[in-house]
Amino acid sequence: MKKFLVIILFFLAIVTDIIAGPGEFSYPILQIRISRIILGIFAGGILAFSGNILQGLFGNPLVEPYTLGSASGAALGASIGIILLGGPSPLFAFAGALLSGMFVYSVARIEGGLLRDRLILAGVVISFLCSSLVMIIMVLGRKELYEIIYLLMGYLGIIITPENRLIIIVTIILSFIMVLYLFRFYREFDIISTGVENAIGLGIDVQNFSRLVFAITTLLIGFVVSLVGAIGFVGLVIPHISRILFGPKHLNNLPASFLLGAIFLLFADTISRTLTVYELPVGVVTSLVGVPFFIYLYKK
Amino acid sequence: MNIIELKNVCFAYNSSEVIRNLSCTFKESMLTGIIGPNGAGKSTLLRIIGGILTKFQGEVLILGEDLKEIKPLKRAEKIGFVPQETNFTLNYRVEDIVAMGRYPYLKPFKSLGREDLLAVEEALECTELTEFRKRPILSLSAGERQRVIIARALAQRPRILLLDEPTSHLDLHHQWTIMEILKNLTTQKMTVIIVHHDLNLASLYCSHLLLMSEGRIYAQGTPIEIITPENLKNVYKTEIEIIFHPVKKIPQVLMK
Repeated sequence: MKKFLVIILFFLAIVTDIIAGPGEFSYPILQIRISRIILGIFAGGILAFSGNILQGLFGNPLVEPYTLGSASGAALGASIGIILLGGPSPLFAFAGALLSGMFVYSVARIEGGLLRDRLILAGVVISFLCSSLVMIIMVLGRKELYEIIYLLMGYLGIIITPENRLIIIVTIILSFIMVLYLFRFYREFDIISTGVENAIGLGIDVQNFSRLVFAITTLLIGFVVSLVGAIGFVGLVIPHISRILFGPKHLNNLPASFLLGAIFLLFADTISRTLTVYELPVGVVTSLVGVPFFIYLYKK
Repeated sequence: MNIIELKNVCFAYNSSEVIRNLSCTFKESMLTGIIGPNGAGKSTLLRIIGGILTKFQGEVLILGEDLKEIKPLKRAEKIGFVPQETNFTLNYRVEDIVAMGRYPYLKPFKSLGREDLLAVEEALECTELTEFRKRPILSLSAGERQRVIIARALAQRPRILLLDEPTSHLDLHHQWTIMEILKNLTTQKMTVIIVHHDLNLASLYCSHLLLMSEGRIYAQGTPIEIITPENLKNVYKTEIEIIFHPVKKIPQVLMK
């Protein structure tokens, strides 16, 4: 029943995002909205999916691309990419995410595992550093200020041009392949979430496995940030909602997280386009809507 | 037959040496207790044998095979490991956690087969958890959670079972239950090694004891050979009196 409801909600979110909004409905508008929907599914799904995996992998419910610093690193990389290349640059975003991720990982790593508290602390520290560097870039590269601001706040309305079309399509297809690849490890994620020593005892090479998963999720976050900017909250909260609805087993809640993340971001996009005369950044809406909803679910 | 053999094993956390040139053997189908004061290296030794700590010097042979050469999944078919503490962050059902013990035998997307379900069932029964099977893990007490982890290790059906202080959170009844289970497992050809702080329980149940001090083996043998005032005074630096169990004639420790 719950699965059925999620699927209905998913289609409802798509239809709502297509038809809602000011202005007359026309073919060009339909095209723009479909591209927003594809980006919404891609970004919302991947943020929630990655957040879910990272929370299980590090046994910490506060872990998400933001608290681990990879989203901020990706934003820094993408900002540098905007200055140098003048458009979306998934590889720059990935490099930024990877560098900050590696820093966090190396600070938290000890023989036989990771210090989980240190992971969050290092993530927060690197986030501050990346934010400061982005601000320096904003001051220096005033011409691209507008683009960087939208990158930091999250924006699904990227203008698709013949120059960037191929890079966007390849990024999205690659991301979906990586999501499917990660999903095959649902059993490993279950086991690792019960502790590193338990997982090693059951025959999982935790160190290499964590590195692999960390690298792939970092790549995914880099891709998302390079196309739609840094959208917070989805990766933190949707996995919790998914677990409340579908239980802790990753076989069920990973696909659920993906769909719920996509649904959530599509509804947030609809609200951001229709609430006021000006379009609000979707990252602002995700927090405004998500926080009370999350508190309600937990109190319930 | 020696099922585990350690040759000149050394291990250090950063620069502090915890295991110092340690050599010993563990016999098949025996319940061996590793005892000793805090910091003696007991848990470290267990974690080396369990494959948790890999950066050690020397050689560890499992059934004659070099531990470093055994692939992790193959190792998990031979050795089950129960850590001292497990912090559950996600609220799995008891039976789901026990079923995780079948991981070494399962391929991706393959659900549990008849043999797997049977192993899970037996492990639940063995640890008296059948009635808890649908309960979420976070609704259980610390002792019950410890039994779940033991059940999971049993579902692995290993030849060697390693447990780090398995009774530390348990009440008297469950301490007795777990030790009886472990003793019975040795009759089914399982080799059980436990790290224990409770000298009396170790003396009652273990057929062999390994007394550790400062990263070395101070003495090893039967409880009667090991639990002596001299040995314990030298290792624990405490005056101790030994009496004998009225029924089992096994040494028991009293603080002076």
